[in-house]
Amino acid sequence: MPKFMFVVPPFFGHISPTLSVGASLISRGHQVVWVGIKELGAEHIPAGGKFIVPHEELAEHQADIQRILKMQDEGPKLSGVETLKLALEETYLPFCRYIMKGLSRVADEFQPDVIISDCITFAGAICAYNKGIPCVTTTPVPPDVTGDTMQSPKIFEWQKNLILGLQREFGVYTDDYVIHSRDMNIVFTSKEFAASKDTSEHMQYVGPVKGRPNNTPFDWDRLAAVTTPKVFVSLGTLLVDIRKDFFQKLIEAFADQPLTIVAATDPAIFDKWPDNFIVQGYVPQSTLMPHMDAVICHGGFNTVNDAFLNGLPMLITPIAYDHFHTASLIENAGCGVKLRYKRLRVSDLKTAMWDVLENEKYRIAARHIQDTFIKAGGNEKATELLETFAQKTYEQTTTLS
Amino acid sequence: MDTVTKRKLNSEEIFAALKVFITEVIGEEFVEDMDITRESSFTKDLEMDSIEIVSFSEKVKAHFGENIDFTGWLSGMDLDQLINLKLDDIIKHIETCQ
Repeated sequence: MPKFMFVVPPFFGHISPTLSVGASLISRGHQVVWVGIKELGAEHIPAGGKFIVPHEELAEHQADIQRILKMQDEGPKLSGVETLKLALEETYLPFCRYIMKGLSRVADEFQPDVIISDCITFAGAICAYNKGIPCVTTTPVPPDVTGDTMQSPKIFEWQKNLILGLQREFGVYTDDYVIHSRDMNIVFTSKEFAASKDTSEHMQYVGPVKGRPNNTPFDWDRLAAVTTPKVFVSLGTLLVDIRKDFFQKLIEAFADQPLTIVAATDPAIFDKWPDNFIVQGYVPQSTLMPHMDAVICHGGFNTVNDAFLNGLPMLITPIAYDHFHTASLIENAGCGVKLRYKRLRVSDLKTAMWDVLENEKYRIAARHIQDTFIKAGGNEKATELLETFAQKTYEQTTTLS
Repeated sequence: MDTVTKRKLNSEEIFAALKVFITEVIGEEFVEDMDITRESSFTKDLEMDSIEIVSFSEKVKAHFGENIDFTGWLSGMDLDQLINLKLDDIIKHIETCQ
């Protein structure tokens, strides 16, 4: 039976789909390990799997790792170009350098047949290249996230020099990018939604994979008594600093409107919430979604995927990072309205919300994306692709030796 | 009939015009809290996103003439130049293009 080794960054949105796929591989009898630079809560790790952090080799970099993780909070204050610099030069590259030594040892000990490296953990793909281990990339967000920025020749040059320079540091002297697999790249969205120009055969769009069950209690009776349109609001798990400002605006816009807001955020940020706001720190998001009429979110792909899987139109208020790209895709696909979080007017919020709720075209477009997501095959398709890939490369190596 | 030569605007006049464009693009209520100076950075202080930059660039063109290719000028810059771009750099650029 082939052995699979996932290499993941310390960002839960990137880890989450690999946990679903990994759990399926384990249930089908494969050995699966994850390697990362930061421990993951034991409750997230699928039974039978192992999450390895090579602490010994990482010890000397611990202060830097903490500093870089802290820097990610600055996201909402940064411009697009600064975000690009923070991401590639100040986060992905150093993380790759820090983990390489420990990763290489783990790979030698575990002897994986396939390394599955997340799209921003370059170490996994470089390690696979150097050891001659077949490699698959996982991409949790629609690709081409840098969009038009790379059209600028000097910025393209900057990216190329950084990546080729990194590869050379680890003895890879080709001018091709080996940080992403050219054999298989599993993307957790649909090809249609990603609107990607990359039509290469190795790009496999499998749609979102189902999250893990969430049994958080919820006041279902209160929800059942609601007679106005229901709008789910989530800012995801990050972006703690701006929560109060964001919800203050929502209160100003919707406290007197005939709709009901169901929000996932710590209720303690305000002494009192309007009567039409149902607020809870953690919510059973995927169980709640089918009861909703629309979603307000910042464009984080966990909530976006949940909304699409229920065919719900969206009001998106992008704040930082890849949110702008995702928000544009949603708007271009006709599934909602995008309002930039910065310079968000309460009057615009109101107008956009009623447009999204009352104009049927958004719901129809969202249901269409829902169809493409379901047809993409999800977790089952990803598992099948990985098994076939492992089998094929396994046969190739045995024929050669 | 007199030959009317379009007078070149001086730096102060350009700055004043740009301030008007920024206000139009960003919205008056948001500009109120900002202190727009020549040292204001385009992305960091004014927090302009790509849509706002395009609309600003169109206003610059309409006012100062078609030969001011603002977005083309930006696309020739490297990352640090873009990050550090100040209003004053734009004023100087328009001065040389006039």
